[in-house]
Amino acid sequence: MTDLVWLVPFLPLVGGLTLMVFGARIGEPRTGWLATLMSASSFVLTVLVYFDLLGMPAEERSHVVSLFSWIPVGSLQIDFALLADPLSITMALFVTGIGSLIHLYSIGYMHGDPKFSKFFLYLNLFVFSMLALVLGENLVVTFLGWEGVGACSYFLISFWHTRESAAVAGKKAFVTNRIGDWGVMTAMFVAFSVVGSVSYKAINEAAQEGTISRSAVSAIAILLFVGACGKSAQLPLYFWLPDAMEGPTPVSALIHAATMVTAGVFLMTRVGPVLAESYGWVPDTVAVVGAATALFAATIAVAQHDIKRVLAYSTVSQLGFMFLAVGSGAYVAAMFHMVTHSFFKALLFLGSGSVIHGLHHEQDMRKMGALRAAMPVTALTFIIGWLAIAGVPPFAGFWSKDEILLYVYADNRLLYAIGMVTALLTAYYMTRQVILVFFGEARWHDASGEHGAHGDFRPHESPKVMLVPLVVLSVLSVVGGGMQLPFSKDLHFLGHWLEPVVEEAERSIKGTWADENKYVLLGVAVVVALAGIALSVAAYAKRRLPAVEPTVLENAWFYDATVARLVGGPGAASFRGVTTFDARVVDGAVNGAGAVARGLGGVVRRSQTGFVRAYAVFIALGAVVLLAWFVWRGWLA
Amino acid sequence: MDLTGDFIAPSTDWYALAPYIVLLAGALVLLLVGSLTPRWPRGWYAMLTALTAGTAGVVASLQFAALADEAPRSLMKGVLAHDRFGLLAVIAICVAVIITSMMASDAAGLDGAQTDSLEPFSLLLVAALGAAIMVTAHDLVVSFLGIEILSISLYVLAASDRRRVASHEAGLKYFVLGGFSSAFLLYGIALVYGTTGQTNLGGIAVVLADEVTLPRNDAMLLAGVALLLVGFAFKVSLVPFHSWTPDVYHGAPTYVTGFMASLGKVAAIVALVRLFVIAFPARADDWRPAVFILAVLTLVVGSVLAIVQTDVKRMLAYSSISHAGFMLVGLEAAGHIGSSSASSGTSSTLIYVVLYAVLALGSFAAVSVVSQAASVVGPTNATSLDAFKGVAKTNPVFALGFTVLLLAQAGVPLTSGFVAKFGVIRAAVSTESYVLAVLAMVSAVIAAYLYLRIMVSMWLSESSSARIPLRPVARLTMFVTVAITLVLGVLPTFVLRLSDTLIFFIR
Amino acid sequence: MLAASSSTIAFPVLTSLVAVPLVGAALVIFFGRARQEWTKLTALLTSVTTGAISLWVLQAFDSSDAGFQFVSQHEWITAWGISWHLGIDGISLFLVVLTGVLFPLVIAGVDPHHDERPYLAWLLVLEAGVMGSFISLDLFLFFVFFEIVLVPMYFLIGGWGYDQRVYAATKFFLFTMTGSAFLLVGIVATALLSRESVGSVTFDVVALAENGALNVTQGRWLFVAFAIAFAVKVPLFPVHTWLPDAHTQAPTAGSVILAGVLLKMGTYGLLRFGVYLFPEASVWARPALYTLAVIGIIYGAIAATMQTDLKRLVAYSSVAHLGFIVLGTFALTDQAVTGGVMQMVNHGVSTSALFLLVGMIYERRHTRQIAELRGLQQVAPVFAGFFMIVMLSSIGLPGLNGFVGEFLILIGSFDTARWWVIVATTGVILAALYLLWAYQRVFHGEVDDANRGFADLRLREGALLLVFVAVIGFTGVYPKPMLSRIEPSVNALIEHVESRTDYQQPAQGEAGK
Repeated sequence: MTDLVWLVPFLPLVGGLTLMVFGARIGEPRTGWLATLMSASSFVLTVLVYFDLLGMPAEERSHVVSLFSWIPVGSLQIDFALLADPLSITMALFVTGIGSLIHLYSIGYMHGDPKFSKFFLYLNLFVFSMLALVLGENLVVTFLGWEGVGACSYFLISFWHTRESAAVAGKKAFVTNRIGDWGVMTAMFVAFSVVGSVSYKAINEAAQEGTISRSAVSAIAILLFVGACGKSAQLPLYFWLPDAMEGPTPVSALIHAATMVTAGVFLMTRVGPVLAESYGWVPDTVAVVGAATALFAATIAVAQHDIKRVLAYSTVSQLGFMFLAVGSGAYVAAMFHMVTHSFFKALLFLGSGSVIHGLHHEQDMRKMGALRAAMPVTALTFIIGWLAIAGVPPFAGFWSKDEILLYVYADNRLLYAIGMVTALLTAYYMTRQVILVFFGEARWHDASGEHGAHGDFRPHESPKVMLVPLVVLSVLSVVGGGMQLPFSKDLHFLGHWLEPVVEEAERSIKGTWADENKYVLLGVAVVVALAGIALSVAAYAKRRLPAVEPTVLENAWFYDATVARLVGGPGAASFRGVTTFDARVVDGAVNGAGAVARGLGGVVRRSQTGFVRAYAVFIALGAVVLLAWFVWRGWLA
Repeated sequence: MDLTGDFIAPSTDWYALAPYIVLLAGALVLLLVGSLTPRWPRGWYAMLTALTAGTAGVVASLQFAALADEAPRSLMKGVLAHDRFGLLAVIAICVAVIITSMMASDAAGLDGAQTDSLEPFSLLLVAALGAAIMVTAHDLVVSFLGIEILSISLYVLAASDRRRVASHEAGLKYFVLGGFSSAFLLYGIALVYGTTGQTNLGGIAVVLADEVTLPRNDAMLLAGVALLLVGFAFKVSLVPFHSWTPDVYHGAPTYVTGFMASLGKVAAIVALVRLFVIAFPARADDWRPAVFILAVLTLVVGSVLAIVQTDVKRMLAYSSISHAGFMLVGLEAAGHIGSSSASSGTSSTLIYVVLYAVLALGSFAAVSVVSQAASVVGPTNATSLDAFKGVAKTNPVFALGFTVLLLAQAGVPLTSGFVAKFGVIRAAVSTESYVLAVLAMVSAVIAAYLYLRIMVSMWLSESSSARIPLRPVARLTMFVTVAITLVLGVLPTFVLRLSDTLIFFIR
Repeated sequence: MLAASSSTIAFPVLTSLVAVPLVGAALVIFFGRARQEWTKLTALLTSVTTGAISLWVLQAFDSSDAGFQFVSQHEWITAWGISWHLGIDGISLFLVVLTGVLFPLVIAGVDPHHDERPYLAWLLVLEAGVMGSFISLDLFLFFVFFEIVLVPMYFLIGGWGYDQRVYAATKFFLFTMTGSAFLLVGIVATALLSRESVGSVTFDVVALAENGALNVTQGRWLFVAFAIAFAVKVPLFPVHTWLPDAHTQAPTAGSVILAGVLLKMGTYGLLRFGVYLFPEASVWARPALYTLAVIGIIYGAIAATMQTDLKRLVAYSSVAHLGFIVLGTFALTDQAVTGGVMQMVNHGVSTSALFLLVGMIYERRHTRQIAELRGLQQVAPVFAGFFMIVMLSSIGLPGLNGFVGEFLILIGSFDTARWWVIVATTGVILAALYLLWAYQRVFHGEVDDANRGFADLRLREGALLLVFVAVIGFTGVYPKPMLSRIEPSVNALIEHVESRTDYQQPAQGEAGK
């Protein structure tokens, strides 16, 4: 069965190519169903592979399927090979699973869009790329997927390309990601140079056996982390993600919440041993960057008005959590949170999508409110998602976030504190969002005119095809925590499953204070979450407290603006400088040479007076000079 | 007392002298018979001229062939050299005469004249005789004789277009300056004779070779060499002795210009090379640097001045100057006497000048075709670049032919021009004067711009004039020259084989 | 690359590669006059024949043999030790195929605006010249082709180009000829200086490379002479400025050929003659060339970003791409050089396609100014799709051809040119920047009235581009067939260098210590 793992990415690819060629002819909605079918069937396949692996003894759960020799040159032998092991299959499971759900959802959401079939073409290609990324046996295959998802996200962000902002956002995302790709590529070069191979197995083993210098290991780790920062929207490269919300909401849900943005975390987990073997400052950097990003983004989310931007910043923040976990050596926790996050964040995005859909593409939360009556299912599911992310037991988010914080506490108290603050803020701004959208008084009547809605404007619940995914995801968000419960070792299902992959790198907190008193920490976490909710309720529902929404936060600490100003100012100036240099100096020299030659000719030409006497003088002078030379030579002799 | 007693007339090898005799006879016949009989119908003078030159050429070729297994020898008590080096030049000269004579009658016939005057034709033959003597002269005095014969007939030819003042002016200028330079030449001969007691090139070489026979007075000798160099530099039009060239080339009738550029160059260069390589090898280290400097100046100034011209004849005049520079590169190589490859310098120079002569004939033929048409149209400067505008549209084949000749002059591969340049560069490199080689090639690039400009106005600018009438003569000339250019460009082996045998001239 | 012994066969395949187009040109000129309607057909047929021959060579090529194949050697100018010596190996193979395929496509796909007959004739002459320079194994012969190419290109740019054509054509001609000035002297010197060691004066590349024994100084000077000529052709910074003008002013076909194959004569020359003839010097000169290459990569990309004219943009992107190739060539590792050779072909494919697309835009809108184009994806989605794919290949997206070459170059050069590679890799970012930005301005946004009438891809254009896209896709996914043919020759070349210098190709990983 595992030998058929190549079918998993292959099916969506086929789907994508089919749509590329016949998309127009197949037409809506059949294209949507076709794409969904492809994604779903690869999900089924993944499940089969999963059980296949489950059937094997733990240490054999790593299966390489080499399709063909891709780039073989001398000592560099890169196969197009897929690796089916617990980690990759876990990723593949929720990529295909959630992917399929979102395909389904999109059939409803994109209904009537002139580029309906294009959308599904991109979605399928994305799923293919994402699967290549996670299933890749070596860095290059992963990089193929890595770039593929980048391209697809570019297509999908600028899907409504007639909107200038969408076009810009797409480009911004791609280029920013490319900055990260510089890291990944360089990491590959280093790896090949010191290890002689780019396959994870070889690199990880080399790192463990210490056959390569520690500095080289650290270099690989840190460079890969640069790439991860780009893809997973960490500081300082995070700023493309909020703009990416220009894309259709299902895209935001799939690519910019559930799957693509987690690629960075996945990559770091994949090379966990390398990270573990590198100098201490490397994992610390990862942890710090993660924590910083988490807090930074959370503060911004507090003051956003766009329903999707709140979720976007919250995504950045949650990804920060995952890197915090990775940096603290809690790979299982990171994966755990990644999975649960993909559940509830996808849910929240789709929920918001449903709201936007219902309000005819209104995204400003100030023009919403009291929608729970109008769209009950959406409201209910959204609330579940909220509880999950806010960290309220027994919802999924609580368990995963807690596990992370557990390890962080064991690792570094300060970072733990930051994590806690972030958790508080998370609960706060998510509650704020729920209240603004579904409770309070309806603020959308007045705005009805703008949305080209005819007659009396009523927000409407979305069609079944959109609600089914919501329901499924909300169920997952409730029970998701079950895959890794802290109460006893036997309940660490995910942990055991991932063990063969992460055991080398996973740091043990056995016997630390945190481990002894994990229930205390659990308690604290609950209190913090509830506190956050309470504050938010007080501020937005009960109006007891003022709503703190400073402009500095609304404008994301002016980070983006500053970057933009730098790029637009000095950056553009220097580029212009180079171009002028090229035109004036380099090309100028060339044309100058020509001009000089012609000028010289012009000057010498004047000697061509046409007067015989002048010519005679030249001849005489020439004769004198020649005579002088020869006579001088003569004296010498 | 009776001097005739001990006077022994030199045993004369009449056959070897045949070319000169034929040319002389032809000239005399033309003059005498021509002036005694009423005017001949158009073209007959040309016919006779061509016939004469042809005969001379054939004879020369036969002698050339014969020399394959005979040793080169000297004639008339060693005043004339009978070697392949000279004979090839003689052949080239005869070809030049043939083509020029045809072009001449062609040009004359343009203004509807049923007849054409005979003087130019006789002068062509006389000039050819002078040139022939120059290229084979093995004695300074004889060489001077040849130079004067050639020069004087060229002065007259340059002025021969009675309708154009420019032509008269050209003739006069050429005459005055030519006389001036001849003075240098003569004084140079005197000095050399004074120091070596020899006028015979071989004799001079012998004297200079062994240092004991006479107390060497190098300063005086070298002064003589310097003056000789000045004189020849004028004839070859090396910078800074070139300034007459553009004016004369421009003023003279186009066919005469072509004649000067081909026959004149061949004669002057060959004589120069012969003089320096045979007579002054012992002083090579003294004259080589001078030649080096002259070469550089000529190359650079020639090409740089060429690109600022607006008149095609002047352009080609300057390009002929920069070509002379290339020939000097060969001479410079020949000056590395010790080096095994000095000989390749000599031969490559000769090959260069001969191949260039062909190109010049063709190019100026083309120019005269266009200018004639233009002058028919209007009074505007008939040879200005504008006259060539859009020629490719009206006469594509003609334009293509001319383009080939221009590309050849620019030294584009698969043309004789490239073979010539390659040979010279090869000689320079093999004597390890890389600087000169690179300089030469770079100046060739500068010069290329000038040929491009002509091509641009032919191909890339809108047609101004109507279709240009191409007379059979012009057609033939173009065809022959282009054919030679391409054939020798693709299969130069024949020429190169010859070039190895050219260096066996008498010492 | 060792002795050119291997398969010599009766039919002079390689000679025909040069001869057929020439014959075609003659036919077009002489018989085309009588029958206008046959002109195009004749040109097409001859170029297709040439292409077919090149493809036959491809399939008959023995990938296990690193040496020269289909060798044909005849006396030519024996007096100077010059022979008509043709041969093909893994390094030249795909360039020949590219040339063979590109010309018929261009002839079929792009029509001149006037004077079809001379246009086609010049194209065919050009093809002969390019073919010749890729397969000649005699320095003199190579120079002849290398130089003769200028003439048809000059006339194509000057005769069928745009408003600045004469300036551009002249600049192109003189610039390249200046380089050739050094090349010619260098060639002659090489032959003469190796006289003793080789035994006679010969211009035979193999003989010179295998037996020639130049001392260090000679080798370095000569290498410099060669390098100057090829640097102009590539073009390397700072002698690149003829390229934007030539590209922009040339007719579409001209730009396509220029970018597709002509520039490769430079990179190919550096590899085939620079490295092969002067191993010591090329090892010695590496830092300089790395630096120039990397400057070219960054500089070209930056300049491309700021261009307002689509064609100029693509032209500058070529400067950047060829920088990668030069970097790889002189990194002198198996991967880097192989990648370099592959990238020559890849760049040929992608950039040609880009120029075709830009040409089509010009056909429709009569402008290349980015500012005047807007929202084309809205009115011409298929066109935009093709543009996107080609663009991504040029950006170097994995799975498309561009990636394989670039990746191999960089990963291969890392050991020998570490810091340069680290800088060069940033060029990958810039590539995305300038292309995506241009794409955004041209294809995205709300279409305005000026562009509303923009027609989507026509059948012929689509068919033409499909070929390119197919190649882009195939080589990106399955480059092995290509690599396996290129690598042996590259390997032999590197061994040649190692055997003559103290340079040793670095070994990776375990073997590295």
